[in-house]
Amino acid sequence: MSENKNFKRKATVKILEDRCKGCWYCVNYCPTKVLVVSEKLNAKGYHPPEFREDEEHVCIACHLCELYCPDFAIVVEELK
Amino acid sequence: MSLMEELRMNEESLLRTERLPHVWCPGCGIGIVLNAFLRAVMRRKIDPNKLVVVSGIGCTGRAAGYVNVDSFHTTHGRGIPFAVGIKFARPDLNVVVFSGDGDLFAIGGNHFVNAARRNHDLLIIAVNNFTYGMTGGQHGPTTPTGAYTTTTPYGNPDRPFNIPHLAISLGAPYVARWTTYHVNQLQNSIYKALGMKGFRVIEIISQCPTVYGRRNTMRTPLSMMEYFQKNSIVKNDASFEELEIKYNGKIVVGEFRNVQGIPTYEERYEDIIRRAQNES
Repeated sequence: MSENKNFKRKATVKILEDRCKGCWYCVNYCPTKVLVVSEKLNAKGYHPPEFREDEEHVCIACHLCELYCPDFAIVVEELK
Repeated sequence: MSLMEELRMNEESLLRTERLPHVWCPGCGIGIVLNAFLRAVMRRKIDPNKLVVVSGIGCTGRAAGYVNVDSFHTTHGRGIPFAVGIKFARPDLNVVVFSGDGDLFAIGGNHFVNAARRNHDLLIIAVNNFTYGMTGGQHGPTTPTGAYTTTTPYGNPDRPFNIPHLAISLGAPYVARWTTYHVNQLQNSIYKALGMKGFRVIEIISQCPTVYGRRNTMRTPLSMMEYFQKNSIVKNDASFEELEIKYNGKIVVGEFRNVQGIPTYEERYEDIIRRAQNES
């Protein structure tokens, strides 16, 4: 992650996993694909998304996942 | 803190978070509409004590139970009559009717028509998912011709309601249609409508993957969203024919009417009271 000099973290995506119902709109509509479907299960048996950044996939803090989430399960926290 | 972060933080205070996760199915669009509505309310800086959310029966009717403002969950189809009563008793309140297509246009169709004709000062958020979702996917007055539902296994023979055209013909000052794919446009549209007066109608085409999509070749939430993404056209001056929703056809979205200065029923009524008092 530190090898890429242009890499600058803008935000972290917090997922309230117990509210997630696994529709994956966030995973599909993220423009930089920083959200992936995780292996773990939540209390209701859905696979919540997972925030994963690397050299090619960096969050740009567009908040689109927050707007598309029908379950109010995503909070984007911008870094100063 | 940026505006978006602030909105997301304040949104939690407008939600009854102890009741989440909500009852809506995975991928249901009503959550997206409620999200956009709450953000628009916060951007308008409306005092939560001056906001009333009224809804009828149905999937969308449950929205009144999740907002942390004064809300009414009324009888079937009677969201608009209750809202009219609230507006008469307390003209200082912002009254929003948040309901579904079956509730507003089938059971409450007559109330919608007459409230629009009289230009009551209400904001109508009509979530149209083409079907009666809660009762098992029967066909309704907004189901497109030819669509398959539990009660129309060989295709729906009826013609659907053309909601924006109906509202325009009755003189509603603000009429718009969006789909749940257009989250930012929808939020801006609700924001704009909240700052206006009169009978404002916003129709939102929403997905119902569980009972509608499943029978109409859109089995997953994402496939319904892709249908909206590929088939919607923004056109603000659309004609009657273009506004009709065809089965698996194009969906014309946009802001079809935006007129200021039409006197509302409440204003005209106050005027009559004033005149009568001066005469006596």
